[in-house]
This record gives sequence, C-alpha cells and structure tokens, in this order.
Amino acid sequence: MRLSVHERLEDLILAEEGYTLVGKSIPRIDARSKVTGEAVFTADLELPRMLAGKVLRSPYPHARIVNIDTSRAKKLRGVYAVVTGQDTAGEKWGVFRYTRDQQLLCVDKVRYVGDEVAAVAAANDDVAQEALSLIQVEYEELPGVFDCWSSIAPDAPLIHDEFPRNVNVEVKIDVGDVEAAFKKCALVREDTFVAEEDSYFMTEPYAVVANSHADGSVEVWMPNASPHTKAKALSNALRIPLSKVNVRKITIGGAFGGRSDVFPAEFITCLLTLRTGRPVKLIYTREENSIATRKGHAMITTHKTGVDNEGRVLARDTVSYLDGGAYSSTGPIATSVPFLCHEQTYRLPNVRFTGYRIYTNKPIAGMIRIHGRSFACGVDTQLDMIAEELGIDPVTIRLRNARQPGETTPTGSHVASCGLTECIEKTAKESNFLEKFKNHQPGRGIGMGINSVQTGFPLGIRGGSQAFIKFHEDGGATVNSGVVDNGQGNDHMLVQIAAEELGLGVEDVRLISADTEITATDAGSYSMISTFAGGNAVKRAAEDAKMQLFEIASDILEADPSDLVARDKKIFVKGAPDVGVSIAKVVRKGLIMGRPIMGKGAFNPDVDQRREWITNPKGQLSQAFSFGATVTEVEVDTDTGMVKAETVTCAQDCGFAVNPMIVEGQFEGGVAMGGQGGMLGEEHRWHKGYCLNPSMLEYKMPTIADMPRINSIIVESIDPVGPYGAKEAGMSIAMSAAQAYCCAVGHALGIYFNHYPLTSERVLDAIENKKEGIQTAWDFPPARFIELEKKE
Amino acid sequence: MKKQLVNMTVNGEEVELAVYPNTTLLEMLRVELGLMGVKEGCSEGVCGTCTVLLNGQPVRSCLTLALEAEGSEILTIEGLTPEDGLHPVQQAFIDRGAVQCGFCTPGMILSSKALLDRNPNPSEDDIKTALSGSFCRCTGYTKILDAVKAAAAAHVDPSDG
Repeated sequence: MRLSVHERLEDLILAEEGYTLVGKSIPRIDARSKVTGEAVFTADLELPRMLAGKVLRSPYPHARIVNIDTSRAKKLRGVYAVVTGQDTAGEKWGVFRYTRDQQLLCVDKVRYVGDEVAAVAAANDDVAQEALSLIQVEYEELPGVFDCWSSIAPDAPLIHDEFPRNVNVEVKIDVGDVEAAFKKCALVREDTFVAEEDSYFMTEPYAVVANSHADGSVEVWMPNASPHTKAKALSNALRIPLSKVNVRKITIGGAFGGRSDVFPAEFITCLLTLRTGRPVKLIYTREENSIATRKGHAMITTHKTGVDNEGRVLARDTVSYLDGGAYSSTGPIATSVPFLCHEQTYRLPNVRFTGYRIYTNKPIAGMIRIHGRSFACGVDTQLDMIAEELGIDPVTIRLRNARQPGETTPTGSHVASCGLTECIEKTAKESNFLEKFKNHQPGRGIGMGINSVQTGFPLGIRGGSQAFIKFHEDGGATVNSGVVDNGQGNDHMLVQIAAEELGLGVEDVRLISADTEITATDAGSYSMISTFAGGNAVKRAAEDAKMQLFEIASDILEADPSDLVARDKKIFVKGAPDVGVSIAKVVRKGLIMGRPIMGKGAFNPDVDQRREWITNPKGQLSQAFSFGATVTEVEVDTDTGMVKAETVTCAQDCGFAVNPMIVEGQFEGGVAMGGQGGMLGEEHRWHKGYCLNPSMLEYKMPTIADMPRINSIIVESIDPVGPYGAKEAGMSIAMSAAQAYCCAVGHALGIYFNHYPLTSERVLDAIENKKEGIQTAWDFPPARFIELEKKE
Repeated sequence: MKKQLVNMTVNGEEVELAVYPNTTLLEMLRVELGLMGVKEGCSEGVCGTCTVLLNGQPVRSCLTLALEAEGSEILTIEGLTPEDGLHPVQQAFIDRGAVQCGFCTPGMILSSKALLDRNPNPSEDDIKTALSGSFCRCTGYTKILDAVKAAAAAHVDPSDG
C-alpha cells in the first residue's frame, strides 16, 4: 500500500518524535578541526626524508614518442629517481576491464596536452623542476582532433587505433515503440542543445603522498572518493598484493565527481617511493588539477519529443555526443547518466537514447556534479517550448510528466519513494511562479528545472558497505566504516546515526574511516550512495551493538531486552527513564562476563547485479532516487548581457534529512555550482587542444558577491529502505538549478537558449539575432546515429 | 641566490628566519614554521585560501614575499584560536554550518575577522565585499554569510549604541 503525502507526513512527525539526534541540525564533528586549521590535508603531510615529486607532461595534443633521454636529469645532484613509461611495462588504467586505455606513463603516444611522460623524485621542488627541464623527449607530432564533429569524420586521425571513428563508448537504449508513438503525437519537435566543458575547481589541488616500507607495503594519502577503489587499482598496476597497498584517511578539500577515478599521479608517486625507499610528495599545481585530473564533458544533444495535446510526452528520441577527451575514464557511466537521471524524472512510455562518447585530443572528461548540461537543460527548455505552443504553463507541463512513486523507469528501476510532485508544487507556490511567469516584466524572468539522481551505482567495485562498532569502558563507542568524506559531511553523518541508535551524544562517538588497512569495506563516496549504503551499514552495526547491550542490561534491569531503550547514555525500560543503568556500566559488565560489545552491520543495495552500462542497460539501477525542483528568478541587462540571479527557491525530496543544516548546505552549494556558476559562466575554452583557462583567474566561478538569496525546502518522502528514510542530499538540486537558470534567462528575453553556459557574449548574441516564433536561439547540426563497422 | 634574515612576529611570537629573496610568505609559514592552516589553492592570488593577516589586514601570502613582511605582525588561523575555546567567528562558522570541506575555511575566517575588527556592524554588502576574495566551492556561501552576520551580532555590544 502506498501512503499519500499527508499520511507520510504524519508518519514522519511520529517518527521524529522518537528521534533524539537524527533530523536535527547538529554542528559537524569535523568543523572544529577545520576552523582551527588543524585538519590535515594531503599537501600538509610531512614525513622524515620526504622527497618532492614532479611530472613531465606532453606539450603536444597528439604525438608519437620517438625517444626519451633521462640521463642528464638522473645526473643532477639531488635527483633520486626518474621514471618513464619504460619503467611501467605500459601498465594501463580503465574503470572497467573493457575500458583500460590509459597508460599510466605514456609509452608510445601522447594524446593530450598534459599526458604524463616522465616523473622525478628530488630533494626539493626546485631540483625536481630543474630535473624535468633536463629530460629530453623527442616527439613526432601527429594531427589532432578537438571536437566531436571533426573526431567522428571518416578521415579523422584515430586517437586509439582500435576505436573506429574515435567512438569510445556507444550506449543504446530503446524502450517501447518510439516511431509508432511519434505518429500518434499532437506535436513533435526536434531541437539541438550544446554545452561546453565545465570543471570542478575544488579548492584543494590534487596531491599524493606515498611511503614505501621494508615489508614491500606502500602507504598512500590523496583526496579520493573511494579508498578501496584506489587501493585495488594501485595493487593491479604496481603488481603488489592488495594487502600491501594501504590507502590512508586524510581530510579532503572537495570532490564533486572529480576524485572518483584513478589517476597516474598516485601510481607515479608510488613508483617513485618504491624506487627511492623514501616518502614522496607530489602536489599538483592548479593548472595540473584542471587538465590532468578530470573535467566535465562537452556535449551535443538532439532531443526529438512528441506529446499529446495536453503536453504529456508520448515519445522521445535522443542522440548525444559527449566529448570524452583522450581516454575512457568513467566513459560508459558518463554517457549513460544524463539519460538515466532524465528517465527517473519524467515518465517516458516510449524512449530511445543513443549516446556516443567520442575521443578527442583533449584532457580526460569524467563525471561531474551537473552531469549533462545540454541533455537536462535541453529537456526542460524544449518542454517550455512545447508548453508555449500548446498554451500550457511550465509548472503544469512538468506536473503532467513528473515521475510518481511506485512507477518503474523505462529501463526497469522501481521507484519506491518519490516526492517530485511535492517539490514542483512547493517551489512553484513559494516563488509565486505562475503569477510572475504570466505577468512578465521585460528583462526579468522565472524558470523551473526538475531532476533526479541515483543513490549509488557500481563503479568497478561492488559489495556495498560494512561497519563495526566497539565500546570503551567510559560508555563511549568507536565506529569503524569504510565511507570516505570528501567534505560533504559523511563523517558526521555516520556519527550522528550511530549516536542516535546507541543513545549517545555525537561527542561520545569516535570514528575511524576510509583506511583500506584498518576499516571495513565500502564502495566509495561517489554516485550519492554514502548515506544510503554507508549510513545503513552503520545503523545496522549500531543496532547489533545495542542489542548486545540490551541483553546484558536485561539482567541488571530484570526486563525483557525488547522493552529496553538506549538514550542519554543510559539503558532503561520504555517509559521509565529514571530507573535506568548507564551504558558505561553495561559495557564494563560485558567485559567482566567475557561478552564485549562488538557491533557489526552491512548493507548492500538491492540492485540488479546483471545490469551493465553497455551490454545490458536494464534492471534495477539503484535502490532509491532523489528528486528535486529549482525555481530561479533573474534580471538580465540587455545592454551587457549580464544576468543577475535574484532569488532561487529549491526543494528536494532527500527522503529524510538526517541533518537539515547539512542538507541545506548541499542545496546551497548545488545552486552555486550547478546554477550560478554552471549556467552563467563556467566553461573551459580551447585552442587546438590547449586549455586557455585552467586557472581560477580565467575560469569564472561564482564568488559570495554573485550569489542570490536561496530558499531551501526539504521534502521528505521517507524511503522504505534508506536509513530513517534518507536518500541523498543536494545533487538533484545541483542539476535542476542549471535547468532553472537556463529557463529563467530564456523567459526574461523570450529566447529559448540552446548553447550553455549563458555567458554575456552568448546572451547578447541571442538578443541581437533574435528569431521569430518558437525556436532555439541558434541552429546547430543535430547529433545523429553513427554508422560503425561491427567489431570482430 | 643567498638567504637573507627576516624578522617578524608570527601569531604573537617573534621569529628570525633565513629565507631566499624569492621565498613567499606562504612558503615561509608552511615550510619553515609548519603553520599548515595556511593553504595553497591557486598560487596566483585568486582563491584566497592562503589569506593571513599582516598588521591586521588580509593579504594573500602566496603573492607576498617573506622579506616584504619584515617587521610586521602576522596572524594565521593557528594564532587566531585562543588558548581556551574559539574566536567568535570560528564558533559561528561551526554553529551555522559554514564549514564543509574546510579548505577555504581558514582564509574565510581570517578575512571575516579583519572585517569585524574594522567594522563591527557590517551590512550584508560589506560582508560580501570583504569575502569576495575567497572562493568556496562547497557551501554556496549562504551559511558563510549567516555565520559572519551571527558573529557580528554576537560581537556588537548593544550598549555601544
């Protein structure tokens, strides 16, 4: 039986009355060490005899390596090791077995400006830098390709010989009968949307410290989204047992999707420490962080959409080209996710998606927080165009197509909980959307975006999350979890949940996490899974520990364990808090009895393990999905093309807000990166494969002075499986914010924008060349099927 | 290049160090004095993570040479933290949820402190201007703004009129 929103709210109110900590805005446990500067980030690590590492990179976008001469560099005083591809046997990395295409140090070819060619370990940065200048590399330049269209041209040079037409990944999804459905539509339109690359610009530049030991083991510290994924990849590439690769916990300065993958940097740093027997620190410059980790994909998307006369989408046929850069990275995932978010958000009885990830001689593209701007903004812009043609308002057309709980997505994911309708209705009401939309003032606009994200999908490592809890004689506990915190507050989330279950304060719970030697396994903190899986694992471990406490306490209190409650560091019979026993006493009694409290818990999301990104894109993708709606109000200066966002109203169904203050922080950060930056200014610019703006000066991110007022609305659908009903926080706001900003600027000017981000140059160009009728601002060639020869 | 002696007060303590003429204040504070709360985010004076106070004024230590700081008083995040408890700005950042990854936090807090020292009752625009030299990629700045407002409110003694 499915509960109505009203019944769910009652359920929620009842549930909240029972909680002491979850659902409350408790300051983060890690905040103190961060406001005092004590928190140690990778570059802050100092070890005795530590050497400085540096990487020599390709100056060419595409070239054959003819010869590398390291002899002069090796002779320089203070140089301890120089490594090249000759030292690595051409070892390759790829997220999946079938995407292993990146040599960790290039052997035969370089494929982008920044590709790793050689590396040194030296006494200090200056000597390392000088050593790099003494390495002589002879290149034979090759013609390069720098955008999707020239890359798929039949006569284009191949970046990887085994990939015809430079098509790296092809995802094909076809559900229902699209062609037949188009014939029944009252209105069909096709439009093409283009977005340039966006980038993470996490404030902490990438850095790695590695230290080898006499037993053959290596310790590694680096910002990461999955210590276990990093350890596994390093074990494979270095050909040393997994048990000898120990990725350690470290404070991480932001990720946004950009720390999920494995990079040559950690492999190179490990190689250098193994060569020298001394710790090595490699700190990326800001420019290296931009070009030699990951960035977003540039993307061209053509949506052909058919609706009935009430605006219900009956069929959609979408083709996307993603500019993947030089290597696969998370290619199969990156190609699929824009579509998957979309099929979760909107009902689509008949849908076809063909996604191509295309190699170019540019830095490698990966997953990013607002993944697929051209796809998502295209969907909502086109929906607004259809609405105008049919005389429907943007809110109504979204409500008519919005995903409902209990439904199944086209590729077969059951959606157990979904508060999307509530998000749309609440943001529309709070922003007074319809009145502002209809009483349009020149230069002012309002727009709405809606989206949905997963709570976890596999990225080369499976097995969910596990946790352990031990108790101390003072009644405090230590939680052991593999979950990593990139800055979003995962550490706090785990502690807040454990403290809730155990009847302790957050100050009574210590945490050991994200260390591959010491902690339990966890898939990693990408794909919005950590609360859902890691939180559930800790909750179960705490429940297990609590039951052990209750069994011992039941003797002391002469009561049945099932009648006991843990709260305020005590255990007591329900309804009789005054006659309880302290948890500390129960723990000590357990120790005397030889029954120490040791809780364990595991959670593995119930997803279809047969599902595969390319070969089998059907079945349950993720066990739960979050949903969000954002409304943005803007004012556009038609003389300068500058957009001023005034107010943003965002609502997300996060399932349950374990910590509302942290959830709001995720919404607000999502608006800044997805909408304010992502739609108004953030893009990389290029000249023949050279990135023109790898620095924070030229890549335009929002500052505090740019930000609008943000009204955050938390919607709680109480997922049946998430911990306390929680799913994920903020990602569907980050994505829907981009769509909302885009639609708002369009509404202000009466222009349907189809090239993102909406920089002032583009806005001015669209104003000057404004078209009549319901058309997109610019005409781009549509993305079409690519005829590929069948692989043998 | 020869090292030269430089004298200054860092977090209330007088120091004399030998530095190269091209050593930045950032390098001196991190490498020579181990003050790792001073972060390096961009190395070109844009991100604000290396902000320290030089004679009470926020400066980008990545663009300031150590020798330029001769005779000055330097305050880093380590020196802001009192022996007992926290500075009101630090406490407000914790209480208001203004800290996420924490990499921008020391610079944000020091810029906020400098603002409140010269203007104990700043307007929202004053705060935005004072903090516009620091990037935060996590928070969207809303809770940072809230925190500085809260610290100002706690700071201002109503009897001051």
